[in-house]
Amino acid sequence: MPIEIPTLNIAALTPFLAVTVTAFVVMFFELFVNDKRILGYLSLLGLAVAAISSVMLLGVSPAPAFQEMAISDGYALVLNLIFIVTAALSILISLSYLGDRALQRGEYYALLLFSTGGMMLMGAATDLIVVFMGLEIMSIALYVLAAFNRRKMGSGEAGMKYFILGAFASAFFLYGVALVYGATGSTNLSAIGNWFTSGGGDLTDPIALVGLSLLLVGFAFKIAAVPFQWWTPDVYQGAPTSVTAFMSVGAKAAGFAALVRLLMVSFGQAFTLDWQIAVAALAVVTMTGGNIAALAQKDIKRMLAFSSIAHAGYILVGVVPGTIDGVQAVLFYLMGYAFMNIGAFAVVAVLEHRVAISSAIEEYAGLAARKPLLAAAMLLFMVSLTGLPPFVGFWGKLYVFRAAVEANMSWLAVVGVINSAISAFYYLGVVVQMYMRPAAATEDGEEVVPISLSGPVTITLAVAVIITVILGIWPTPLVNLTSLAVFG
Amino acid sequence: MLQEFEFLGVLGAITLTIPVVTLIIAWLLRPKKPNPAKQETYESGIKTIGDTWVQFKAQYYIYAIIFVVFDIEAVFLFPFAVALRQLPLYSLIWAIVFIVLLFDGLLYGWRKGALHWN
Amino acid sequence: MPFDPSQIPIVQIVFFVMTACAIGGAIGVVSSPNLFHSALYLVLSLFGVAGYYVLLSAGFLAVVQLMVYVGAIAILILFAIMFARRLMGQGENQNNQQWWLSLPIVMILFAVLVGVVNTVSWPVSGAEPTGDTVMELGHAFLGSYLIPFEVVSILLSVALIGGIFLAREKVEAEEA
Repeated sequence: MPIEIPTLNIAALTPFLAVTVTAFVVMFFELFVNDKRILGYLSLLGLAVAAISSVMLLGVSPAPAFQEMAISDGYALVLNLIFIVTAALSILISLSYLGDRALQRGEYYALLLFSTGGMMLMGAATDLIVVFMGLEIMSIALYVLAAFNRRKMGSGEAGMKYFILGAFASAFFLYGVALVYGATGSTNLSAIGNWFTSGGGDLTDPIALVGLSLLLVGFAFKIAAVPFQWWTPDVYQGAPTSVTAFMSVGAKAAGFAALVRLLMVSFGQAFTLDWQIAVAALAVVTMTGGNIAALAQKDIKRMLAFSSIAHAGYILVGVVPGTIDGVQAVLFYLMGYAFMNIGAFAVVAVLEHRVAISSAIEEYAGLAARKPLLAAAMLLFMVSLTGLPPFVGFWGKLYVFRAAVEANMSWLAVVGVINSAISAFYYLGVVVQMYMRPAAATEDGEEVVPISLSGPVTITLAVAVIITVILGIWPTPLVNLTSLAVFG
Repeated sequence: MLQEFEFLGVLGAITLTIPVVTLIIAWLLRPKKPNPAKQETYESGIKTIGDTWVQFKAQYYIYAIIFVVFDIEAVFLFPFAVALRQLPLYSLIWAIVFIVLLFDGLLYGWRKGALHWN
Repeated sequence: MPFDPSQIPIVQIVFFVMTACAIGGAIGVVSSPNLFHSALYLVLSLFGVAGYYVLLSAGFLAVVQLMVYVGAIAILILFAIMFARRLMGQGENQNNQQWWLSLPIVMILFAVLVGVVNTVSWPVSGAEPTGDTVMELGHAFLGSYLIPFEVVSILLSVALIGGIFLAREKVEAEEA
């Protein structure tokens, strides 16, 4: 038997390794360190190393790593930055949020980093097996994080629901992988693509297409697209708010990362032939379903959950054209969404009552009078999520809709614009509560719960506000960054 | 491949047949005169206490989790061990990395008292 | 005509026995009113699948299937059921009010999959299965599949921490 020495090119995976090694180190120090906040800062350090190495790799020409199992092309590296931003902002929220609830544990930061590592693996994977491994690392860590607040019923319920439905989705995904492998004889993404174009494959091969549809089901679950969204509101509401912030952006971005690479690299021609319309339909029902359900919500975390479903729909609009412009628009959207959505969750985390479960929208009444700056930040995030200028949310929507129009799918953009108008009702509903309703009168003897803003979460809010505004006024830097996102 | 498992199949068939046949014979031959005392659960001659379905300690569950994880580790290391002689030396390093990462997990469980039995 | 043992279609017989185990067990899992019995049916079903691996000349996978699924995971499931006392030994209907809704969907999925499996020509490799699959696997793990191999240990670590972290709560509650 010939001994093959694999070409490793470990350097290409430096960001992933930095995050994962930090996770193991955090886990190790958890056993010996008493002040767990140190572990949070250690995690931030690991993320910083990962960010620096990602940026440095952007200057190097992409090289396949580990026998073409993964690659560090521009696409993967830009996604890495999105994951790192998401994780870092969430850790900053967590440092305050967990401390308030006596949940400050090293496992939390370790699992969050593992999850981030899984996301990076999904973005860089060029083989379905590696995609699956990344998906599972990310998901298993998220299941546990969702159930992290062990004293709260809702948190355990969130973890359980997420776990059962997530395992179900993973099964669909694996079945899809098996069928695609059965049809094409390979799990490598470019080999699958070659099989379709030149390897004697058939663009309408039923096994491959049934496999693709099962893979789509698996991804649709992870990005919370209608009709695979049922878990989302319960999980987002029950999970600790810092975790909700993390997974609302991170898990979604990772799902899109692998989905887009699969559709573009493996199923490019088959996709534009038959599947565009299916993904377009998914986008339309996801946008509309998410927005309409969000209108009826009374709890801000549930509302943001449905809003995140709607945003998955907008992002799918950018996926439908199957062009590199569309892909870059998707990445722009995801990066902008990371800042504005985590910003909104940061406000929720600050205001969430320590004792009560409620995070009802009604409790935001009169916030503008009590905490003008916090209310202003929330106002800004809500307007940006609606997609109004001059905030980053506007440009995100503009770019994905433009990609659809350029691919002669203007109707899709029109549906998106109508949906944005619908979404204004519930986003601005929060603003109305904050600015126009008086705070609920406190009964005699009842003390007004003080709103405390501690250091780390303030940094999240400040960063989110500044980036949302700056990129809203001057989106060029992010446009330049995402234009580096090409498949290697 | 089937030939390699022929013995297993024969063995399985025999081990399945003997007890089943014995039970059938016993069922055919035994007298059937039930009374309440005979129908009771047999617990070494002592009167049974409580429900048959007792709740297990959660401790068992942690052990089962650790067992599953290291079972799977063994499955992955076994082919490595078989191929070790033919593999280049540096692949030993990768196997050690594999084990060290899991050892971190075991250390965590140990320090958290997951291996501690009350 | 003298009896010729080599005429017995042994592969077919094994296949049908294993299929009966796999499908019968699976039906038992979803229809048994006792959750504990469901778990035991699952063992039967997993055992049937191990038989398929033998027929497919994947002996190592068959052993892994028995060792990991039947040996370890089934035990884990049984423990999980046994410490949730409410779930044990009670007749519970596994259907809820929406079973009639899921039935046609499941039937359609089944019909589609059967249709696909029946109509397409599966690519068949003419190569004989190699003898020493374990050796080949060892080379694959440390060769072209090095990333998945190493990542498995990360995945297992995550599962280990997560499992211990969540189950400790229950233990602490019992000790308190």
